[in-house]
Amino acid sequence: MSASLAPECNEVKERYDACFLKWYSEKYLRGNGKTDECANMFKDYQKCLKVALEERKIDKLLDEAREDSKDHDSVHLKRK
Amino acid sequence: MVLTHTTNHSYTHPFPTVTLAFFLRYYSPQLNPFSAHVLSTDTIDSHVDPETGRLYTTRIHLKRSRMPSAIIKLLPASVTGGAGEKSSYVLENSIVDIKEGWMKTESRNLNFTGVLSVTESQHYSATPPDQADVSTLPSAVPRTMSTNTWVSTTFSYRSSLGSRKTNDKATTSEENSRGRFGWISGWGAKRIQSSIESIASNKTDDQIIKSRDGMKMVLERLRSNGVVAVLRELNRREGKSAFEA
Repeated sequence: MSASLAPECNEVKERYDACFLKWYSEKYLRGNGKTDECANMFKDYQKCLKVALEERKIDKLLDEAREDSKDHDSVHLKRK
Repeated sequence: MVLTHTTNHSYTHPFPTVTLAFFLRYYSPQLNPFSAHVLSTDTIDSHVDPETGRLYTTRIHLKRSRMPSAIIKLLPASVTGGAGEKSSYVLENSIVDIKEGWMKTESRNLNFTGVLSVTESQHYSATPPDQADVSTLPSAVPRTMSTNTWVSTTFSYRSSLGSRKTNDKATTSEENSRGRFGWISGWGAKRIQSSIESIASNKTDDQIIKSRDGMKMVLERLRSNGVVAVLRELNRREGKSAFEA
């Protein structure tokens, strides 16, 4: 199981990953994945991860990346 | 300047399986031995657009830095942090449209961007690139039933080392701070930038082959066992039961 960048989030991350992969393979890929059933687990995971991203200043890097993609390329992933 | 490098490939696996392999490719070195350099993977966004049914996912991977040693040698230790062994964060955005049978992905480095920005864009499709745009085909055609998946990969390299924009930007990332780049400016900067871009670009083929081989290993495991069995087996080996529920 791949680790979280924050070891303290590993447990909630694993639960979410397992849920996501099950939902993705069994529901979404079969065309009936309108809603994500893993929303609650995702919330717990993000609560933990948010703190870790701030501590490591990754939130700032993310802001810079968003700013940068406005300036340059990235038409590739624009919403249609 | 920006250097780009595009390659095309096809997998002998159906599109849905290939998208699953994409999400699983860094899951475990036991599943993909070519992922040992990936230290962590986190999802920071995942949602289905209710109108289009498309799945949007954003992940952050922490990878052991693979910045080529030839680039490390060009740079002072104050920029590379010495040995250049630092890990780098990679931001990965992906969109899957299961109805139309395509997936677009874009990965880029989050740190070291003052030295080099690498963006990997991929377009996976259930239809070969020489056929008409999927959106013009009648929707009754079950596109995802195709047994092959085509992928086009474009790497682009942009070094903004010592450029005005990088230096003037008020930023928190250490490699972008103004003082560090006093040694490089003007014509010299341009030359070093294009050296960095071409050295990195020359490494692309090697990198593409490794990531393709990794995808193939994951795909073979999925073909023979299916996702639930594969994950259960991995968890059993690691002494966990997260997937049993």
